[in-house]
Amino acid sequence: MRRLISLLLLLIVALGLALCLSGAPFGARGADEGAGLAPDKVNFGRRYNERGLEENGAANIVTSVVVNYRGFDTLGEVTVLFIAAVGLAAVLYTRTGKAASAGAEPSSLVLFTGCRFLFPLILLLGAYIFIHGHLTPGGGFQGGAVVASGFLLIYLGCPDRKLSKAAVGAVESLSGLAFVAVALVGLTVGGSFLLNFLPKGTVYGLLSAGIIPLIYVLIGFKVGSELGGIIDNLSGGSE
Amino acid sequence: MVSPVLLIAVPLGLAFAASLVGLASKRLTKFVPVVAMLFNLVVSVSLLPVAFRAPIIVRTAGWAPPFSIHLVAGPLGLLLSCLIAFIGLLVAVYGMGYIREGAQAKYHVLYILILVGATGMVLTGDIFNLFVFFEILCISSYALVAYRGDSAGAEAGIKYLLQGAIGSSLVLIGIGLVYGMFGTLSMADIAANVRSVSTFRLFVSLAFLITGFGVEAAVFPLNAWLPDAHSSAPSSISAILSGIAIKAGVYAIARMVYTIYGAQSTLPCVAVIGVATLLVGEMCAFNQSDIKRLLAYSSIGQMGLIVFGLGMASVIGVSAALFVIFSHALAKALLFLASGYMIYRSGSREISSLDGMGTRMPLTSLCFAIGAFSLIGLPPFVGFASKFMIVRAALATADPFFVVLLAIALVGTVIEGAYFLRIVQGLYFKPTPEEAPEEGTRKEAPLSALVPVGVLAALIVAVGIYPGLVGRALGPAANDLLDRDGYVERVMGD
Amino acid sequence: MSFLSSYIHYVGCFSLILIGLYVVLVKPNLIKVIIGINLIDTGVNLFLIAVGYIRAGTAPIFSEAALQADKMVDPVPQALVLTAIVIGVSVLALALALAIRVYGHYGTLDLRRIKGLRW
Repeated sequence: MRRLISLLLLLIVALGLALCLSGAPFGARGADEGAGLAPDKVNFGRRYNERGLEENGAANIVTSVVVNYRGFDTLGEVTVLFIAAVGLAAVLYTRTGKAASAGAEPSSLVLFTGCRFLFPLILLLGAYIFIHGHLTPGGGFQGGAVVASGFLLIYLGCPDRKLSKAAVGAVESLSGLAFVAVALVGLTVGGSFLLNFLPKGTVYGLLSAGIIPLIYVLIGFKVGSELGGIIDNLSGGSE
Repeated sequence: MVSPVLLIAVPLGLAFAASLVGLASKRLTKFVPVVAMLFNLVVSVSLLPVAFRAPIIVRTAGWAPPFSIHLVAGPLGLLLSCLIAFIGLLVAVYGMGYIREGAQAKYHVLYILILVGATGMVLTGDIFNLFVFFEILCISSYALVAYRGDSAGAEAGIKYLLQGAIGSSLVLIGIGLVYGMFGTLSMADIAANVRSVSTFRLFVSLAFLITGFGVEAAVFPLNAWLPDAHSSAPSSISAILSGIAIKAGVYAIARMVYTIYGAQSTLPCVAVIGVATLLVGEMCAFNQSDIKRLLAYSSIGQMGLIVFGLGMASVIGVSAALFVIFSHALAKALLFLASGYMIYRSGSREISSLDGMGTRMPLTSLCFAIGAFSLIGLPPFVGFASKFMIVRAALATADPFFVVLLAIALVGTVIEGAYFLRIVQGLYFKPTPEEAPEEGTRKEAPLSALVPVGVLAALIVAVGIYPGLVGRALGPAANDLLDRDGYVERVMGD
Repeated sequence: MSFLSSYIHYVGCFSLILIGLYVVLVKPNLIKVIIGINLIDTGVNLFLIAVGYIRAGTAPIFSEAALQADKMVDPVPQALVLTAIVIGVSVLALALALAIRVYGHYGTLDLRRIKGLRW
């Protein structure tokens, strides 16, 4: 009965979507022809492509959209991840820190040494990704996720090593506060929240594009420490 | 003049700072939400006169709309943000004394973030930014519903999360369709170009958006999560959820329908859904024996009334709906806060255990009674003024359809009166049950609870006697919602 | 054949969304429902990116000085999807934490038996 009703509902939804998109084939045509879904649909994105390099100095246009043009959304997104980390810790809070990872057998020498060897290399890769976010594909979130996977490797391979909760909490709060502070400096100095107030530098240089690499480094630290804290909480946690 | 972006940025920074403070000392974190909301209240109130002359458009990152995310702090946005800051401040004061166990620092951080999400939703002028702040609001509330960690909280939290996550995905599909059709994400830009797309496609995308936001706004078929979530959360969070979070969902729907799409033709359908929600909420509330579940169902009913008011496409109709938002937020917050300590004192959530509270906790019961009377709509309280305005608005449309719906809505109001009067009668006229535990705690609720509860009760009486205090602001706020061309011109022509 | 080349991407995204929606509506196991929600999120993210595609376009990165701006795909949906992916991960993390709590209290992950809060 339940299956029948849900299949019916899905059929209605699918029909509505199919009819809605029937006149709009995939892939807008380029600048020289008309466009796919809407007549001037491509103008919005194209304006960022064309003017992005001179307005922001970042070679990666997606980065300049994420950090500068739609930087307010990125602030919100960083907050959402923060809420998830704090909320998860609040939900899984127990008054006495029960060690749920008791009973994990110690790992063999090969595994232990291999994980410890790989860990700094993974951190280096993650740091490379978020430092070069304005030049190559990638950025703060991607680099932070790679850093967190390094932490996960240590949790899985070396069962007795754990992150210090205080350090993780301090890093994530400080980076978040620094992000808001940089945005507010833009407000006081230039009159707009999140204004790109540092000099643009030369394109393709490491220190180009104003505040964009700075913000991505902050986001990289924040996301890495937050995901590490989430992994710590989910695997039983230490008090 | 202070920029309205500080209404969002400063509490956000304070939330991160509260997390740092929490690492150092757990006891100091409870003051941070109070500071943040006090700042918001002062800034919103000081910006109100400016916004009533002309909406303040804030550009982020220095680029002109629509190529940047802009905030539109108009009369409606600032009025709602004043309300959010005011209720947030009072419940934060209440929370200082009420939250005594669990990860307290994290509670206060999440509390500030719910209010940041709500404030961001009402101030933004960009549809994807609306979604991001909506997610901030929703995810903090999922975590706070399960804050106490008991079985009811966990079950209510996971069910709320599952339904809310589907709602958010539907909103995201709608945003994808909108971006595909219009190529822009700014509300004013979409509003300017709405005529260039076929009606059927507009209808499909609007259906997705309304259904997605409707899960949070608790309109009729989508409100299964609300009674569980609002009754299992700690009382201060129930007050915020009922008083602010569901109003933010309704605000989002109103923005979609009025400002972006200008879909006046869907409004009769919206009004019918509103009345259906009202009836379902009130009828279910009548059968309850658990006080918090009863208050939660009553919230569903009042949401139906607000949606009904929004379904009348006239200035007085929308003003009436805004007035009901205001009066319901005050009254419901008052009821949840007062019942929080009454439940603590009597040890159980059954209505029958609240009998005789009039003698055991006289001040709290008096404020509870004031809140209940205001919600029913009795004369010297603000609820009467707001419901009377809805009646006047429905009669002024001179449309028999709305008059019939109004009659049905009044039936719902009578049912509401019946169950609230039953509770108040129990508070004052029934003797204390014998098995009530006489704990050694204080006879009356502590000061951190009495002050917010007293302020809310005083405000309900004050605005009830002199509705012009708030009524003057409602006309411009309603116009903000209804006047599409003015909105587009002010944002784009800047 | 032109139907396939024009619409197959949208059909793919919406099939993912509808499969995810089916799993959420029908399956009783809590972890499967959470996976279903993740499927819906993935499908929606794919749909958002698909909306921004321009035929024969390249990634919007100026990795060489000779790349032209009008041959690049739309960067805005990619930024939106970045945000949407992070939000999806956050909801997933919180859902798993709540599932752990529910399991601790009820001893089962069957949604038909987690009915402590009655009418």
